[in-house]
Amino acid sequence: MSSHFSSVLQLTDLDDFITPSQECIKPVKIEKTQVGTGAKIKIQEDGGYVQVEEGGRERQLKKVEISLADCLACSGCITSAESVLISQQSQTELTRIFQETKSLHEAGQGDQAKLIIVSLSVQPILSLASYYQLPVDEAAQRLTGYFKQLGANMVVNMNIADDFALLENQVEFIERFRAAENKENGKLPMLTSSCPGWVCYAEKTHGQFILPYIAKTKSPQQIMGSLIKTYLSSQLKRSPNDIYHVTVMPCYDKKLEASRQDFFNEKLQSHDVDCVITGIELQSMLESSGLKLSEVDSASVDWPWSEKKPLDKEIWGHRGSPSGGYADHVFLHAAKELIGQDLSDVHYRTLRNPDFKEVILEKDGNVVLRFAIANGFRNIQNLVQKIKRKKCDYHFVEVMACPSGCINGGAQLRPENASAPKELIAKLETMYADLPALSPAENTMVKELYNHWLGGSTSDKKTAMLHTDYHAVEKMNTALNIKW
Amino acid sequence: MHVCVSTFACLYYSLSNVSLGVYQPCLPRLHCVCVFVTRLKKKGEMGKLDLIQTLSGHEGRVWNVCWHPQGNTLASCGEDKTIRLWFKEGSKWVNKDILTEGHQRTIREVAWSSCGNYLASASFDATTGIWDKKGGQFDCISSLEGHENEVKSVAWSKSGQLLSTCSRDKSVWIWEVIEDEYECAAVLNAHTQDVKKVVWHPHLDILASASYDNTAKLFKEDVADNDWICIATLSSHTSTVWSLAFDHSGTRLATCSDDCTVKIWQEYLSNNSEGIVTPDNNPVWKCVCTLSGYHTRAIYDISWCHKTHLLATACGDDAIRIFKEAEDSEKHTPTFILLATCANAHTQDVNAVAWNPSVPGLLASASDDGEVKLWQYEDN
Repeated sequence: MSSHFSSVLQLTDLDDFITPSQECIKPVKIEKTQVGTGAKIKIQEDGGYVQVEEGGRERQLKKVEISLADCLACSGCITSAESVLISQQSQTELTRIFQETKSLHEAGQGDQAKLIIVSLSVQPILSLASYYQLPVDEAAQRLTGYFKQLGANMVVNMNIADDFALLENQVEFIERFRAAENKENGKLPMLTSSCPGWVCYAEKTHGQFILPYIAKTKSPQQIMGSLIKTYLSSQLKRSPNDIYHVTVMPCYDKKLEASRQDFFNEKLQSHDVDCVITGIELQSMLESSGLKLSEVDSASVDWPWSEKKPLDKEIWGHRGSPSGGYADHVFLHAAKELIGQDLSDVHYRTLRNPDFKEVILEKDGNVVLRFAIANGFRNIQNLVQKIKRKKCDYHFVEVMACPSGCINGGAQLRPENASAPKELIAKLETMYADLPALSPAENTMVKELYNHWLGGSTSDKKTAMLHTDYHAVEKMNTALNIKW
Repeated sequence: MHVCVSTFACLYYSLSNVSLGVYQPCLPRLHCVCVFVTRLKKKGEMGKLDLIQTLSGHEGRVWNVCWHPQGNTLASCGEDKTIRLWFKEGSKWVNKDILTEGHQRTIREVAWSSCGNYLASASFDATTGIWDKKGGQFDCISSLEGHENEVKSVAWSKSGQLLSTCSRDKSVWIWEVIEDEYECAAVLNAHTQDVKKVVWHPHLDILASASYDNTAKLFKEDVADNDWICIATLSSHTSTVWSLAFDHSGTRLATCSDDCTVKIWQEYLSNNSEGIVTPDNNPVWKCVCTLSGYHTRAIYDISWCHKTHLLATACGDDAIRIFKEAEDSEKHTPTFILLATCANAHTQDVNAVAWNPSVPGLLASASDDGEVKLWQYEDN
């Protein structure tokens, strides 16, 4: 099985020099019900373990399971037990939930069924639209129809979370920039945080050194998680753990993000995002039921928010990069707020390779703002090393682990002609650029939520709902991990 | 002067038609062209390897040796985390410099840049050191970070503009050198296991790598988007490929492996007259010869002299062997003959061999026994 995670996460730490291959070494706590000595353990033909107690009684032993959360907390491998990792966040699990809900409804116990809400991000819609040769809005509608047919109660687009993420990045940048000007503790460059592959890599390999540079703003997926599980759940008068929240995303690394402890409500045993499903998996689900997206009945994407939908479209985009346009939005905002310049456009200059671009703003012959977009692992490497050597003069960098950014996410559908990946990326980029673009400030629902749900733009609730923290993962020193 | 038992070994191989079977622990795969030396040797097809000098000084195993491009300095490195520089004074080679404090763990490999002004060192501390002689003596001017763990090999391209490293983390990195700054130009995840060795083509910006995944791979830059791509995978070895070496022209590659064989690969360009299919117009590398039955343990290193065209191998059976293409060899089904075997060249594994680039027949070797040895090959 080829790896599904982004190339950043494929740089694993497996040994094959001393021992043939270092497998997962995460110590796992097992809840042992009885403590006794003298028991023997037998391995059965099917690989199960049976404990034979004194007196010959046999007891099936519980299998140790490594969860995604365990993996996130471990500095060992990242993807070696990938099949285990994905199983929690897979199409199988999703299908199981849909079936469970269906049978509850059929048994007249619909009140016990979970409310299933699906959030759609833009990139996989474009990927599916391209694959099934559908207009973008129609693809969104047919996908909505497909989820409804499976048993989803509500399908929404994630544009509102994108808007929050962009606005929060803008605010956070201004704060950091001003703090740096006053020689306070404002770490620049500010590095974007929406790519979980990049965040995971930073936590595991560069830890305490790099984390302070990463924006505290949650990714759109996790902002959507807060919106659904906190705001919408209270609107719908449902407990968060009564809602099953599915996101449709362009990459597998988002599954890791959804599993983070930071996004898990221990008290209610509820994840902000319960299951992440991707374009590739949706295509395989459709195929295994003998369906084509173009033949599925359409339904409109739901708009459960009180304010009017800002555009008469199912889904829309933002100006700038197809990863969400972070550099564009923050640059324009900073130019206005900090320099007093109202710019209408952002012109990037490609540097060493097409995945590394910069844009500068000059005032009186001096560079006052220097922004960049760095996609892909090699550019991340150079960026991190530059920061380490204090040779990085950027104020802001949009960082994505995949070359070409999220439009080329690891779980976007592959081209049917295997030799034309670049053509496909170019096509999706054009499709994204052709989407109607909305400025986040124009979304009245976002304003409404800031005012009434979050209690203003400086409240603690806002921090809890829209910001997060990162945790350096200490390198483990176990005998098995010793390198020489 | 110590003369090896090679002459006898040579005779034994050359006179016996069936002897190879005895020394054949790993049978070559069937799809690979195999050529055995089964005829009497002619004049000039035998030689001997004379020990010139033993260079002692390293503490613990010596991992690698590398000649300065002008051939007047030898660099060696090893477990003791030092790089030693050996210069010729009169008739003797002496250790003039010991470079320390560049690495925290074993130095696995050293490489001179083709201009001879820089030295790069690959270490198990996951960094690659760049040493420069600007201040009169060598100083470690940069430490390239990025690999997750042990760096196994480092190599400079002919132009000196590119550097490549590989690691136990399975990746191959290409670094671009811009005014003493080293920028990562590519991270190649083509191998599925530990990558043991990287070498550059003698003239072109083409990189070859050898891995624990039993393959060697070739990479070049895709000019369209400045990214590096794998253009060929050389599969035929049945175990780890430890090292590889290009011939002087860059159209042949020799690989050596844990499967106790050496394989010679020939490049076929698109539209070749032999009618070998070249997908996407990329050159195809075909195994045209397997040297099987000569080595009794893993072969850790191979060096192909660009002056004399001699091949030297470093083997886990403590021996150094010298091969050469036979004079009546066919280009597409070449024959290589064993000229000399130095059976106990070292008292432990031989880790590396390197032909001197200017003195024909001068060979350096490094071993687990803690010694570096210099040899002179002479035709009989």
